Amino acid sequence: MIAADPGATTRAGGASWAHVAAAGTDPQALAGIVERAAADPRGFATDWRRALHTDDPGSAIRAAGTQAVLPSPTGQRVAQAWSEGCVRVALAGDPAMPERLVATSAQPPWLAIRGAVRRRDTPAVAIVGSRRASAYGRGIAAWLAEAAGAAGVHVVSGGAVGIDAAAHGAALDTDGGTTVVLGCGHDVAYPRPHAGPGKLFERVVDAGGALVSESLPHEPPRPWRVRSRNRLIAALVDVVVVVEGGSRSGSLVTATWAADYGITVLAVPGDVRAPGSGAPLRLLRDGAGVCGSPDDLLAALPQGIDRARDDVAGGAVPDGPATSGLVASSLPEAAAAVLAEAWPRPVTMADLAAQSNVAAGTLLAAITAAQVAGQVTRDLDGLRLCRDPHR
Amino acid sequence: MSAGNSFTVEVSAGPASDTSSRVLARVGAVALTGLAGAMVTAEAVVAGGLPQIRIVGLPDATVREAADRIRSACQQSAFSLPGAKVVVNLAPAGIRKVGSGFDLPIALAVLCAAGHIPPDRLDGIVAWGEVGLDGGVSPSAGTLPVATAARRNGAGRLMVASQALAEAALVAGLDVVGVDSLRDAVAVAAGHRSGARPGPVAVSHSPHGPDLAAVRGQHVARRCLELAAVGGHHMLMVGPPGCGKSMLARRLPSILPPLAHEEALEVAAIRSIMGERVRLDLRPPFRDPHHATSTAGLIGGGSGVARPGEVSRAHRGVLFLDEVLETPRATLDALREPLETGRVVLVRSQSRVTYPAAVQLVAAANPCPCGRAGAAGRPCTCRPDQVARHRSRLSGPLLDRIDLHLAMEPVSQDVLVGPSSGESSDVVAARVVAARALATSRWSEFGAQPSGPRARMLTRDVSSDAVRASTGRPAQRRLARAIEAFGWSARAFDRCLRVARTIADVDGRDRVEPADVDEAVAHRVDLDGPS
Repeated sequence: MIAADPGATTRAGGASWAHVAAAGTDPQALAGIVERAAADPRGFATDWRRALHTDDPGSAIRAAGTQAVLPSPTGQRVAQAWSEGCVRVALAGDPAMPERLVATSAQPPWLAIRGAVRRRDTPAVAIVGSRRASAYGRGIAAWLAEAAGAAGVHVVSGGAVGIDAAAHGAALDTDGGTTVVLGCGHDVAYPRPHAGPGKLFERVVDAGGALVSESLPHEPPRPWRVRSRNRLIAALVDVVVVVEGGSRSGSLVTATWAADYGITVLAVPGDVRAPGSGAPLRLLRDGAGVCGSPDDLLAALPQGIDRARDDVAGGAVPDGPATSGLVASSLPEAAAAVLAEAWPRPVTMADLAAQSNVAAGTLLAAITAAQVAGQVTRDLDGLRLCRDPHR
Repeated sequence: MSAGNSFTVEVSAGPASDTSSRVLARVGAVALTGLAGAMVTAEAVVAGGLPQIRIVGLPDATVREAADRIRSACQQSAFSLPGAKVVVNLAPAGIRKVGSGFDLPIALAVLCAAGHIPPDRLDGIVAWGEVGLDGGVSPSAGTLPVATAARRNGAGRLMVASQALAEAALVAGLDVVGVDSLRDAVAVAAGHRSGARPGPVAVSHSPHGPDLAAVRGQHVARRCLELAAVGGHHMLMVGPPGCGKSMLARRLPSILPPLAHEEALEVAAIRSIMGERVRLDLRPPFRDPHHATSTAGLIGGGSGVARPGEVSRAHRGVLFLDEVLETPRATLDALREPLETGRVVLVRSQSRVTYPAAVQLVAAANPCPCGRAGAAGRPCTCRPDQVARHRSRLSGPLLDRIDLHLAMEPVSQDVLVGPSSGESSDVVAARVVAARALATSRWSEFGAQPSGPRARMLTRDVSSDAVRASTGRPAQRRLARAIEAFGWSARAFDRCLRVARTIADVDGRDRVEPADVDEAVAHRVDLDGPS
């Protein structure tokens, strides 16, 4: 309806440009760049690579973009999509561009941001790994992310299913918060289980986190695009932790970028025979640090932002190995012990009944009570304690 | 034999050639539409024309063929037929007549018209049976529903093949007589012989098949199965291949209470119209159709008059659907109506038939497409999106109606080689009977009306109002809190409350405790949770 009236189109377009401008970006420059990137991706990429090697990449890329006629229909459409999705756009050289990206020369031509980006001095950690994650891997990722978040450390990951989702989910409501670096445009519902009302991505934004992307709103995830966003993940953090991944996992790409940028890489050891141990094993052989607990992760944060570490010593996560007994739970003692031993791996209901020697009816009732109290989660794979049973 | 011969000579000598005295012969029969039978009269009269038997009155192919069988049978039995056309009318002519069972009434009517039987001897006789070329009479499908219809319509006597005598005799209050051949039938009709009489009704209690004692470990699964047996709850088992899903399902009938007499009759009626050997079996049926079964095969179908499907064959028993996710969604959704109402209504061009279908559904599925996810020591080879898609199919309109979810795993080696420690089916069955008695008496107190053709109330089927009224406030509050914590739907509330009710029944308590509610909630799994 609006498109039928040229005046209205202009107004709608004008509004979106105003929105983009409010984010501190020169709208005309953005439209030119977007237009160029959409019409001639290869030429634009060449220009961008060249611009990265100049002293002021922002100006160079602006120059490459302003050749286009402004404001073009493509540029308007893209800007409108961003505007409707409440996405702000930071152009290279703009103050809104995260400082870490500028500092590491990982800076893209533009960064589309939904939600709030953390200040540079917030310590940040990337927890990445395989989509085809085991229950163990997901459990460890959630454990690390929750502890990091509780210590005020920001958690960054790629928003994929598996390890990424476990890390984002655990860090959501913590002090540290979480950022998702998308491997596609903001308007693409990928991965499907995380898009939509009430799903992971919306929850991240609602909880004060951010979704960022270097792609145009409609661009689908492609292998090269996803690998490219791993560069951003590495650049946005102080420490990269690889939890689980195959020998050709994308998390190795993240680790390689991190090494390039001089950022610490940690790997979580797993079952050496499991397919998900390929990436961590390779990193450990290549000299990556070992991450066996949240303490290892926090200890690896640079000196300048050790503030987080002091907070930890004060409360949330105690130092030292776990020697104390189990945290109290409403489960029968034998059942709690079985779950604690397996943690973070799940235990099937049948195994729990057999090993704990509690009558089936009693056990099932106790499990529901523990679930309602938030002590235990349950899915088709079985039951798992929500938290480290020793802390 | 000699007596028969002399009789034949005596009767067949004169009247067959006497076409001047026209006799209108009448024999009763029953036209079946599904399980419902309508009374039909086979009328025969000798008319002018070339010698033949002509059948009118909307016969289908099987009934029209009866003419040739009867001619040959009469020849073989040395009954002479008139040298003119015999017209047989099946009245009322508006109802379609199907089945070889019409052979016998038509044959009797023809022979009466031919003068071999005095017309008044056929009053009140209903006949049902197939006549062979040699003059023998054999059973035809549907004897039991025919007998039921005959009894309801006040027929004095039902004549069937001797082999179907026991089946017809299941209907109480009907004078049933069995015959072996057309000669026999004529002699009985004419009053020269009394014919075979049924013995006492034999109630068989077929062996219940595999016993629960052989199930090692699996305490949770055993508990779940017992609850399913008591409340009649539908059940879904999810687990990798080889974890014992079908082994467990096959043992469910062994702990179900025996069928009541009228329930066993309903089961027998379905078997009867399928042309199977019928006996009064008090063991609930168990049907396990392959997952490639068509919709028509599952709920019933066919052109003209629809035939019962697996869901009706499993009436009053267990319908086991293994690999339920391999079955097309449309086929599964067709099961919704029978599960809700306990019957299937199938409308075809020529009929609208209703078959009973009060089944307990037991479904089984793999946790992921490769079936290995979760199996200890065996890595899953599925992509996460494949697993997600697979699991999203687990929740759906049909599976929403399933009360009990059971996530299963292969039993560990030490349990497998250890001594078999479980209770036997008989011990569990005794508890089930006691718990069901408790439930039944309560539901009758609550005035819960059986909906549809059900003979007794199962906790699965009573109205949700009755379930709520029989459950205390604290238990309901407890459930509401858990449902809210898990983000479940209102439907889950209803399902869980029913299971909680059953749990209290199993433990012999009238009051539903909060702990019962907790256990009921644990019998439900978030099926589309993470892999």
